[in-house]
Amino acid sequence: MVKNQRKLNKYKIQQMIVQFLPLVALVVLFLVFCAVVQTKGYRLDMYLKIVFNEGIVLAVVATGAIFIYSLGSFDISLGAATLFSATMGVLNYNAFENVPLMIVVIGVSGIGCSLLSSILASIFHIPVFVATVAMMSVLSAVSAQIITSRGGALGGISIPSNVLKSLDVPAFKIVTLAVFFLLCLYVFNFTKIGRREKFIGGNPVCAKLTGINYNKHAIIGFCIAGLSVGLGAFLTLVYTPSVTATTASSLGMNILVAIVFGGMPISGGADSKIFSAIIGGFSYILLDNALELIFDSSSGYGITQIISAVFFLLVVYAASMNYRTKTLPR
Amino acid sequence: MKKKLMKWLNVGLVSVLLVSMLAGCGKKSDEGSETKSDGGKGETVKIGVLVADVSSENAMAFSAYYNDYVAKEYNVEFQFTDALEDAASEKAAIEKFASQGCQGIISMSSSDRALQIETCEEYEVYYAVATGMLDDAQYEEYKSNEFFVGQIGASMTAEYETGLDMAKYFVEKGAKKVAIYGAFIPNPMHVYRTAGVLAGLGCTYGGASDQEGIAGQIFGDQGVDLSKVAGDVEVVAYFQGYGDTTADEFNAASQAAPDAFISVGMGTTFFAQQLNTAEIPFGDIDSFTSSNSEAMKNGKLEYIAAVYGSSIGPVFAVMLDAINGNVIRDEEGNALSINQAYAVATNGDEFDEYFLKDNSDSPIFDKETLDAIVSDTANFEDVKSLVEAH
Repeated sequence: MVKNQRKLNKYKIQQMIVQFLPLVALVVLFLVFCAVVQTKGYRLDMYLKIVFNEGIVLAVVATGAIFIYSLGSFDISLGAATLFSATMGVLNYNAFENVPLMIVVIGVSGIGCSLLSSILASIFHIPVFVATVAMMSVLSAVSAQIITSRGGALGGISIPSNVLKSLDVPAFKIVTLAVFFLLCLYVFNFTKIGRREKFIGGNPVCAKLTGINYNKHAIIGFCIAGLSVGLGAFLTLVYTPSVTATTASSLGMNILVAIVFGGMPISGGADSKIFSAIIGGFSYILLDNALELIFDSSSGYGITQIISAVFFLLVVYAASMNYRTKTLPR
Repeated sequence: MKKKLMKWLNVGLVSVLLVSMLAGCGKKSDEGSETKSDGGKGETVKIGVLVADVSSENAMAFSAYYNDYVAKEYNVEFQFTDALEDAASEKAAIEKFASQGCQGIISMSSSDRALQIETCEEYEVYYAVATGMLDDAQYEEYKSNEFFVGQIGASMTAEYETGLDMAKYFVEKGAKKVAIYGAFIPNPMHVYRTAGVLAGLGCTYGGASDQEGIAGQIFGDQGVDLSKVAGDVEVVAYFQGYGDTTADEFNAASQAAPDAFISVGMGTTFFAQQLNTAEIPFGDIDSFTSSNSEAMKNGKLEYIAAVYGSSIGPVFAVMLDAINGNVIRDEEGNALSINQAYAVATNGDEFDEYFLKDNSDSPIFDKETLDAIVSDTANFEDVKSLVEAH
C-alpha cells in the first residue's frame, strides 16, 4: 500500500516536472537571450520589442491551431490561410477604405479557409494532412496570382501605412492576445468542446463509441483555428501594411515547432495544453533570435537552423519519455 | 528508475554540450571582431545590409566585396541578414540593426521598400538601395525623406532595356526562331526583362507593344502565353521556374531548331550544357563567373549582360558620406537616384574586362576610385559621373 502510494507520488512529481518543463525552458531561454543581447552591447528594450512582434502572430495562430492538433490532426495550411486572409483584407480595404469591414473580411476569409479544410477532411473523408497540403498549395497559388497581378513592379500589395499604424503598439497586441487566449482557454479547459476534442485525439474509436461526433468537433476546431488565422492576418497587417507572395510562408511549420516546444504531443489527446502555443511560440522565437545573435549570419548561414532542429529533437525526446510510461495519461 | 535517470542524464548532457557549443561559437565571433583591420579613423561605422538572396553568385560576390574588401579598406563593419522572405522580416531586420547600433542600412531586398524607408526614419538610420530601384511613385513620395540617401541600381526601365538590347542583338544576327527562358516570373525584375525581350524581337504580346502594356499582361498571366505572342520572329518555346524544365521539354524545344535561346536570368546555370551540346547560341542576364567565362569562350554563350561584385561600391560611398555628415542630394535637393546599367559582353575579351578585373583583391570600384566620392565635399555630379564612367 505504502509502496503504491510512493509510486503514485513519484508519478505525480514526474508529471509536474514535465508540465512545468516548457515554462522553465521559456524562462531559461529568456534569460539566455537577455544575457546574449547584453553581452553584445545591443539595446535590450528594442530587442524584446522585436521578439514580441515576431512571436505575437505565431502565438495567436498557434493558440487556435491547438484545437486542431488536440484532435490528433495536423494543419500545414495555416500559413497560406493567413496569407490569403491578409490578401483579402488588403483588397477589401483598397476597394472600400473601411477598416471594420476589412477586419470582418479577414476574419471570414480565415474561417472560410479552415472550414473548407475541415469539410474536405470530415465530409469527404480525405485525410486531414492531405486536405491541408492541397489547401496550402491552392491558397498560396491564388494569393500569389492576386498579389503579383495587382502588385506589378512593386511585387506586393499594400494598404496605406498610416491606416493601422496606431495599432502597432505592444498594448494593443497584448490585449488582443490576452482576450483571444482567455477565450480559447475557457473553451478548451472549461467546456465540453475542449474535453471532447482531447478525448477524440486520445482515442477516436472510444470517443465514437461514447457517442461523440467527430465531424462536429473537427468543424468547431477548424473554425476556432480559422478565427486565429484571421486574427493573425490582421496582426500581420498591423505590423507591415504590405503583403507579398511570401508573407507568412513559414508560419505553418513554425506552429508545429512551437506547439512541440510548448510541451504538447503532436498526436493530441489528453496531454494537449492550450498554454503550449504561447509558451512554445515565444520559446521558439527567443531561441531563433538568440542563435541569430550568437552566430554571425554571413558566416553561419544554416547553423542556426541545424541547432534549432537539434533542440526540436531534444524536446521531442524529452517529452516522449513521459509518454513511454505504462501508466495511462491523466 | 535507473533507466529513467539515465535518460534524463542523457538529455542533460546533450543540453550542456549544446550550451557549451553555443558559448564557444559566441567567443570565436568576438575574437574575430578584435582582429578586424582598422583602415580608417575614429569609431567603426556599422552598416546593416538587407539581403533577400544569399546563395546566387551575384549575392556572394556582393557580400565578398563588402566583407573582404570594403571592410578592410575603410573603418566599417557590415552586418548581413539571412535571406529575408517578406516585408515583416525586412522590418524586423532593420529594427535589429538599429538596436545593434548600425547607422545606415543598405537594401538588397525589395519586398516593401516604402516600409523599409519608414522604419529607417522611425529609428533614425540612413537608408540606401543597392540593387533595383523604387518605382516612380514611391520615389516621388520618399525622395525628400531626410534619412533616404538614395538609390543606385537598375530601374525597371533599365531591366526592360537590358532584355530589349539582348533580343535585338540576336535579331540583328538573323534569328527568326527563338526560345525564351523567363526565369522566376512573377519576380518583377524578370517580368520586365522578358517584356523587353519580346519587344526587342519585334513582337507584340496580347496586342501590346510598350513596356507597361507587355509587363502588365505578363504579371497577369504569371508567365508568357505563347498564343498571345505575335511578330516576325517566332517564339518556339517558353520556359520558366527554378529548374522546372524537364529534359523532354528541352528536347522538344531543341527539335524546333531555334536560332537563339534567350534567358533573362540564370539560364546558363540550368541550360548551358544542353545548349552547348545542341549548338544553340544563347544569351543571358546573369553574372561574370568562371562557368560563364567558359561558356562564352568555348561554348555557345554569345551575349551576357551582368552586374559585377563591386558595382555596389558607390552606394556604400554615399552611405558613408551621409553617416559622416555629408548627405549628398541631387540638383533639386532630393535623394539620389542614379541608374546603373548592366555591363555587356559578347566575346571572351569583353567578358574578361569585368571578370578578371573585378575581384575582392582589386575590384573595379577600389578604394582609390571610391575615395573620389568619399569626402565631405563630394556632390551629386561627382557620384553620377563616377557611376556612369563604369
